[in-house]
Amino acid sequence: MSQRLSVVGKRIIQPDAAAKATGAALYASDIMVPGTLIGKVVRSPYPHARITRIDKSKAENLSGVEAIITPEDTAQWQKFDRGMKDLPMIAGGYTVPPDEGVLNERARHFGDAIAAVAAINEHIAEEALELIEVEYEELPFIIDPEEAMKPGAPQISGFAKGNIGKHMSYAFPAGDVQKAFKEAECIVEGTFSTPKQEHCTAETAAAVARLDVNGRLTVWSQCQLPHLARREIAHIFNMPVHRVKIITPFIGGSFGQRGALCAEPICVALALKTGRPVKLVYSREENFIALESRTGFQYTLRMGFQKDGTLTAMDTYMLGRLGGYMGCGPMASAIGMIFGLGHYRCPNRSGEADMVMTNTPMSGAFRGFGNPAIMWGIEQLVDEAAEKLGMDPIEIRLKNIKKAGEIANMGLRLESTYLEECIKRGAEAIGWKEKWGKTKKGTIRRGVGVATMTHCSGAAPLYLDHSNAFIKLNEDGTADLVVHPAPVGQHIWGALSQIAAEELGIHAEDINIVTGDTDVTLFEYGSDASRSTYSVGNATLIAALQAKEQLLERAAGMLGVSAQELEINDRQIFSSTEPKKRISMADVCYDAIYNFKGECLNISGKCSWESKWNSPPTGAFFAEVEVNIETGRVRVIRFVTAMDCGKAINPMAVEGQLEGGIQQGIGYGLTEDYVINKDTGVVETDNYDSYKMPGMMDMPETQVIIIDEPDPKGPFGAKGVGEPGMVGVAPAIANAVYDAVKVRIRDLPITPEKLLNALELARN
Amino acid sequence: MKQIATFIVNEKRYELAIEPHMLLVEVLRDELGLTGTKQSCGIGNCGACTVLIDGKPVLSCLTLALTVEGKHITTIEALAQGTALHPIQKAFVEHGAIQCGFCTPGMILSAKALLDKNLNPTDREVKYALSGNLCRCTGYVKIIDAVLAAAEAMSKEANT
Repeated sequence: MSQRLSVVGKRIIQPDAAAKATGAALYASDIMVPGTLIGKVVRSPYPHARITRIDKSKAENLSGVEAIITPEDTAQWQKFDRGMKDLPMIAGGYTVPPDEGVLNERARHFGDAIAAVAAINEHIAEEALELIEVEYEELPFIIDPEEAMKPGAPQISGFAKGNIGKHMSYAFPAGDVQKAFKEAECIVEGTFSTPKQEHCTAETAAAVARLDVNGRLTVWSQCQLPHLARREIAHIFNMPVHRVKIITPFIGGSFGQRGALCAEPICVALALKTGRPVKLVYSREENFIALESRTGFQYTLRMGFQKDGTLTAMDTYMLGRLGGYMGCGPMASAIGMIFGLGHYRCPNRSGEADMVMTNTPMSGAFRGFGNPAIMWGIEQLVDEAAEKLGMDPIEIRLKNIKKAGEIANMGLRLESTYLEECIKRGAEAIGWKEKWGKTKKGTIRRGVGVATMTHCSGAAPLYLDHSNAFIKLNEDGTADLVVHPAPVGQHIWGALSQIAAEELGIHAEDINIVTGDTDVTLFEYGSDASRSTYSVGNATLIAALQAKEQLLERAAGMLGVSAQELEINDRQIFSSTEPKKRISMADVCYDAIYNFKGECLNISGKCSWESKWNSPPTGAFFAEVEVNIETGRVRVIRFVTAMDCGKAINPMAVEGQLEGGIQQGIGYGLTEDYVINKDTGVVETDNYDSYKMPGMMDMPETQVIIIDEPDPKGPFGAKGVGEPGMVGVAPAIANAVYDAVKVRIRDLPITPEKLLNALELARN
Repeated sequence: MKQIATFIVNEKRYELAIEPHMLLVEVLRDELGLTGTKQSCGIGNCGACTVLIDGKPVLSCLTLALTVEGKHITTIEALAQGTALHPIQKAFVEHGAIQCGFCTPGMILSAKALLDKNLNPTDREVKYALSGNLCRCTGYVKIIDAVLAAAEAMSKEANT
């Protein structure tokens, strides 16, 4: 596919950037409707406890308190699964029993919501919290998933027998794994663990809810999946869908956390109870304990190779720690296995996972959704196999990566992959040949490491990947594009403008994005699974194509030529055979709308897009590290990401995704650990003074290489790029640490303490 | 009990009745409706609430409002002149330094405090000056590029 492109591929400025730079952009936490009350939540100080008594009388008497709600008040509403995966979205009918109430009389984790207050200002709401007396009966609790599966362990949910929330099997098993391991000439195996990681969205969870005079409910929601949020909120509060309106303001970061309902249910409950608008903004501490964060895993992994480095077998058993409610967590193992076991060409594969409920804050989706966890192990074992077989880590990867035409991770044909180019160009950029495998001396030792990965462009064929776009052309040749991806900072409005403008032959700034209101937008699954550019982009492309067909037909009539010979470029429609025959787009659009010949038409296009395909992006990651063998400190000094994400609609936006991925991956690799006290169940890392996310001084020199080759299925050849950027970062660092000091850390993150212990062990 | 206090915000004087325990971020956002100042961690670790007090970057979530009475408070809303962006804002927009945008006002004000003193900062000086501002989206690369580009643009402007 080679196309002359005039808008796609350009580093355009984002339509929303100036509003954000001036402070004019409104986020949920900025919305202030007249008469708004401020909500606050009473949270359990215990990991597992029954509420025996709540006395709200003192708080109710406090001047300025408008309402206090307890589990008794919220029992009238439906229980729900906040991951919203009880919706019929997943092929195979995987459902989660609705299990969580708006408020709960049995706290299942530290920070579980027990009661809530609405008051005229924040200080009074906070004072009221102190006055609400709650008596708890502490119950035995369980933090460790292995312990939770043992007979006699406290049971957390009525439906999860033995606390197993969900057993997941690898969706694409193949061959005879046992036989293959018997025949394997080199087997590498290990037990790995990966932590819960908090999203650290810049904006904490926030919602505003208002019951309108006509009985309709408006919710300013940060949800990444606005239409699913609408359906779920209607369901919880026993309303028909058309009585709920979701407004999506700017969202101050998401990374998967806002793929689940966050502050919305309690906020709506307070608004219904008081009849007044309510705003509920979580504190940073609540953001850590009351929402889903990355699912932590312990897993065993085994890989079998032939002497020449050919991968023949792999299997895994993953144990995932869910929280007190199911949420999105179980799918992290399913997706992790699909991406991990399907990454390399390997004829024999199997995987099983138990996703276990524990008395800990919930686990769910976070950028990469299980893929960073499993690649942490896979990419270290590949290096171990290479060492055993006397191969270069680059060589063994080049031998086993899939080529175009093979079956990709999600069971579909791999239409395009440039992973080989990613590996070769990345290796050159980091200086692999000169740096890798050299003898190291001294206190500070340098090493380089590599990791690769495959991800997804959208959720098909696992989830129903349904998007809609509607475009209408205005009388001056500009266009309004009605879509509803979530603006979480991924520059999606710009990308969709470029796609629509390219197809229509106009400029990106000629497109107005109409979005953020479920009253107006057609159904949109939402922004997860690296899908917005790919899936909403495909919907946009086809809607624009339809509009273009109408446009050209009108223009053909006006010019007296056939529509087939017409082309559009730079807002002009002209005949390809007789270029002098031309008319501006504005003239055609004006004539269509203000038509006095009885042929009025608002030129428009609409597409209900259901992805049947998936074009996995592929990428290679290279870390160069310095390890101080006396302090155990690892410093990443250079990082190179080489990504095949199809045609980059806006290279500047793609770079931003990949650079941000490096930062989150370095945090996952070195410093970010969500600590729950085993004796008390209390979360000890609940703000940035105890949980270290990388700052500016922690970042290495980075280089991003975009391969920029179009994929046949994506809009103008684009693939997804939201998540892939962090997937291979941590294992590349681990492999670089090994190159530097010859020890392996299999338990993320690589802390100085773990590294010093490992160095000590290696010396003895 | 509320107290009457006078604040000079973006060169305008406001006489407000506020509780003595009110934080500057609350006065700006809740009393004056200047929501460009963001609150993110609430404990002075992330820099999202950064404003300038007499030109110096200060964390408004840790500052009792009454302590800055009479001082010159600059928020993000003061930087652009109508639709004309400040050179730092322009650089952030043009370099793709803004993703979700929630940390952006604080970042830009920290950058302004630096560039108002030093129009020729090194890469390391930029990192140091902005190290108190956390961003979860960008990996900081384009933010640093933008600040360096703004420095260049501003110093050209100063020399003409």
